[in-house]
Amino acid sequence: MAHHLEGSRNSCALHGALQLFEAIDGVVPVIHSTSGCGVQHYLGVTRMSGGNDPFGSPPVSSSNIGQKHVVFGGGSRLREQLKNTVKVVQADLYAIVTGCSTEMVGDDIAAMAREGRDQNWPVIYTNTPGFSGDVHHGYHLAVKALIEQLPDIWKERDKVPSGLVNIWGIIPNQDPFWRGNLQELGRLLEGIGLVPNLLLGSEQSVASWQQIPGAVLNLVLSHWGELPARLLADRYATPSITLDSLPIGTAISTLLRRLTELLKLDTIRTEAFISREESRLNFQFARLADIYFHAGFQREFVLVGESAQVVAIGEFLGKSLGLLPRTLIITDNPPDSVHQSLITRLASIVPGYDTEVIFSEDRTDITEFIRASAAQLVLGSSLEREVSEESGVPFFALSFPLADRIVLERSYAGYRGATTLLEDIGTAILAFNRDCHLC
Amino acid sequence: MSEKIGKHIAIYGKGGIGKSTTASNISAALTDSGYRVIQIGCDPKSDSTTILRGGNDLPTVLDTLREQSKLRIEDISAIGFGGVLCIEAGGPVPGVGCAGRGINAAVELLQELNVFDEFKPDFVLYDVLGDVVCGGFAVPIRDGLADRAFVVTSSDFMAIFAANNLFKAVNKYAPSGGARLGGVIANSILAAYAPELIDDFAEKTGTNVIGYVPRSLVVAQSELYGKTVIEAAPQSEQAQVYRNLAKYIDENEDSVIPKPLNSPELKKWAREWGDRIFEVETGVVHEMASI
Repeated sequence: MAHHLEGSRNSCALHGALQLFEAIDGVVPVIHSTSGCGVQHYLGVTRMSGGNDPFGSPPVSSSNIGQKHVVFGGGSRLREQLKNTVKVVQADLYAIVTGCSTEMVGDDIAAMAREGRDQNWPVIYTNTPGFSGDVHHGYHLAVKALIEQLPDIWKERDKVPSGLVNIWGIIPNQDPFWRGNLQELGRLLEGIGLVPNLLLGSEQSVASWQQIPGAVLNLVLSHWGELPARLLADRYATPSITLDSLPIGTAISTLLRRLTELLKLDTIRTEAFISREESRLNFQFARLADIYFHAGFQREFVLVGESAQVVAIGEFLGKSLGLLPRTLIITDNPPDSVHQSLITRLASIVPGYDTEVIFSEDRTDITEFIRASAAQLVLGSSLEREVSEESGVPFFALSFPLADRIVLERSYAGYRGATTLLEDIGTAILAFNRDCHLC
Repeated sequence: MSEKIGKHIAIYGKGGIGKSTTASNISAALTDSGYRVIQIGCDPKSDSTTILRGGNDLPTVLDTLREQSKLRIEDISAIGFGGVLCIEAGGPVPGVGCAGRGINAAVELLQELNVFDEFKPDFVLYDVLGDVVCGGFAVPIRDGLADRAFVVTSSDFMAIFAANNLFKAVNKYAPSGGARLGGVIANSILAAYAPELIDDFAEKTGTNVIGYVPRSLVVAQSELYGKTVIEAAPQSEQAQVYRNLAKYIDENEDSVIPKPLNSPELKKWAREWGDRIFEVETGVVHEMASI
């Protein structure tokens, strides 16, 4: 039976597309919708992701349509807005995204983008009404628009470095640590002789997206990255590797070895690199041993987040650190087809231990599951702080929405992300223990 | 909303079935009886009131709204035959924008302009386009704007289909304060079986036929002169038919919540009538049958 949804952390498709376009240098999105859509994206998404707002405020171009545009069609308003935007901001690419009202009316966005291109403006478009799906669907729509329309704008291809690997499935802001995670992944790929095409974040521009067709591989790091990999396989026959998540800690070594084998890289170089990284990580683990037992790190935990985060963090804490995954709550509504494989994978993190895997984006449900778990550590979004405090257990915020942390380059991925995560969770446990002693 | 002034009537029916002609003649007949009447065309084609105003141009509410922010009633209305206040909601050109929202916006604006308070009509007729394809076109029968809806239909299946769709909309909105169905107006009656077919549909859906308008050259001729039959041929039989309809609407407050047929029922009903008409046309005579 249907029931109301409280405190959903999945915004709408328009916002998902905006997240992607805003994460590429030189892309200027143009919203064709009513005036609230852009503001809501700022208030409800970018500002809720650890201070990840790209500009510090929401200066996004928007057609801000009114009633007369709904009645008579808003095409001319968009034409005017696009023209004004081109006058005010020099961009490598203008990306038109649409909201619910203009899609209900049926404005011909494709024609407006075509008109723009006829003026030699680099314009792409994607129809992103909020009713078509959530933020993840918006990521799909924006990626699809770039893959399908960029080749029509720039017909000549630049020379692509050999060993280029495209990265898919990390959704800006929906993963608050996306910048740092991509950087760490880039470092690791370079470490084994590959050239990462991160596509998003600092120094990632439209030029990075133009290089996509020349990549040797598409590396997919969540289910949300499967669609772009499939599109590129169809268009350019590029092979891909698909993972449920970007691994943390020594689990990343498996990926590096797999890449080395598949792309016939220098095995000696890869093994030397892995050995160096694992040694450093093991050294840090060893240093932690005393406090680990002293402060009681090993405890049952609840983890709430997107499927890729839950897999990566859940497995790292369970397999590498000996914590016990009591309840794992997945909030990004992955397709039904992957539910069972996720359950099978997550339920067996600690053999013989009973882990509950739940799919929910409803805050009330999630709160109840946390209460019922009686876990001794809660890892989730800022929405879970209240129930953690009420339950009297340490809490650490690491998933979206992240209202009370600043995240600039912090990473919870790869080898370095493992130590950062340990530092952060350990600090939260120590702080909680100290507060308990004081009170 | 302030207290409603006058009786508000909505006329629906399939496109091209004769809604505007019927509505305009009813308006003309009502005004001929001394009533103050407003007719509001809710159709982007903006031709509902043409024959009330001799074919003269009338700026539509929405076109005027697009050009100027402050409107006066005089900007968007014209006085037609017998003093009928003619208004056309207007709407977008085909294939662009949202006509449904347009009707909503135009009706809101008329309320803001206090048209009804100022004109003090005895009757307001909303002539609504074609089928009830989306929520916007149901505006006149929602929220108690119109008290009663009448549907104009011929004996063609697609016209009956559109009438059945209107019944669905009335059925949905009437229980929460929307308009109820005043009745069915049988239009363009030519074939001998037509009245019986429409009667049968009305009976099956729990409604009633309030008048039969024969197909007539007088209507076509009057329209070519840009006039209603009431104005162009006041002594004609056809004019009397429209006067009778107006009289019914004036004197009879009966209304029902119709029971629309579902899709299989409607198909079955149509097939049965198909067989029946075929038998009549080919001369099949059943025992004890008389048509």
